[in-house]
Amino acid sequence: MDDVLTETVPAEELKKFEKAYHEQLYKQDVTPKAQFEYAWCLVRSKYPADIKKGIFLLQELFRTHEEGQRDYLYYLAIGNARIKQYTEALKYVRSFLNIEPGNSQVIALETTIKAKMDKEGLMGMAVAGGVVLAIGAAVGLGISILNKKS
Amino acid sequence: MSAGPYNYSYIFKYIIIGDMGVGKSCLLHQFTEKKFMSDCPHTIGVEFGTRIIEVAGQKIKLQIWDTAGQERFRAVTRSYYRGAAGALMVYDITRRSTYNHLSSWLTDTRNLTNPSTVIFLIGNKCDLEGQRDVTYEEAKQFADENGLMFVEASAKTGQNVEEAFLETARKIYQSIQDGRLDLNAAESGVQHKPSQPGRNTLSNDQQFNKDNCAC
Ligand SMILES: Nc1nc2c(ncn2[C@@H]2O[C@H](COP(=O)(O)OP(=O)(O)O)[C@@H](O)[C@H]2O)c(=O)[nH]1
Ligand SMILES: [Mg+2]
Repeated sequence: MDDVLTETVPAEELKKFEKAYHEQLYKQDVTPKAQFEYAWCLVRSKYPADIKKGIFLLQELFRTHEEGQRDYLYYLAIGNARIKQYTEALKYVRSFLNIEPGNSQVIALETTIKAKMDKEGLMGMAVAGGVVLAIGAAVGLGISILNKKS
Repeated sequence: MSAGPYNYSYIFKYIIIGDMGVGKSCLLHQFTEKKFMSDCPHTIGVEFGTRIIEVAGQKIKLQIWDTAGQERFRAVTRSYYRGAAGALMVYDITRRSTYNHLSSWLTDTRNLTNPSTVIFLIGNKCDLEGQRDVTYEEAKQFADENGLMFVEASAKTGQNVEEAFLETARKIYQSIQDGRLDLNAAESGVQHKPSQPGRNTLSNDQQFNKDNCAC
């Protein structure tokens, strides 16, 4: 019980939403709701492999289900930050704030991520990354410009 | 009396629940930042806030989880109830439907928290007296019948906001003193003098493959 980047989902909860998702998957009829609920639990897991799977499911939702994009961006940022992919996490935060500037919940998340980087001595990297981020934001989402640059 | 690097000796976990639009996030911001956000965006999933308070000379850190009231978040937000020491259950005094839904929120809370969890009912937006749709008396009666603490408050003016959060903490603290709340129970929602910041939650991978490029 700490903050949005450290709290973890109870194992039974994760199982419950995993089961619901898999039942739909078996019938080849996955609803965005079931996929989102499962992904939201996955990115709160204590296991990085789960978090990565959650990120994958959220990216898929982001591409296919326009209605919930705001939610997906937010949890993509959280998932990436939790596996220390901070540059990626901040990219999602930026994208969100481009659409909805001044959203206090997302600004708070940005602060939490930066504080965590600071603690881990990664802040210099973030500043360097910031320049690239601005370019990345202009070009749009889902671009791997960051990776090439480093 | 040193608490290591911490300047508090307890952590209490709170949740804020209730229908969408009753003012949960505004109550949180009023309490943590002492300001009213007139156009607060809809909460995504769960929002987090924290503040250190003092009860009986003890510094207590409140960790507050503000849940989104929207149906599409409801199933997963339930996973945050577990281990809450305090639950603030909010309705809007100008919208009767939000009051009518209280029994369902209460059932959820009772099912998912401990018997020692303190539940505090807040009738928010009491600055809008002219639009009142729920009387103080009936809400008070509902609270009494269900053993809840109750206050009418306004996230806008700040009236009774501190009281609700602090009263809840006092009640929790009292339960600890009385031994009704077992500090060692895994899901009591209370931590006493947190240990050294050993990071044992996540982050075992990734940590070591960062610094070995050195060129
Ligand atoms: N007049 C008045 N408006 C309020 C009060 N609290 C919240 N609001 C408004 O009610 C709306 C919903 O508030 P919000 O905190 O987002 O509700 P939530 O969905 O429960 O988190 C916002 O437009 C707020 O400005 C209050 O105490 N008085
Ligand atoms: Mg809210």
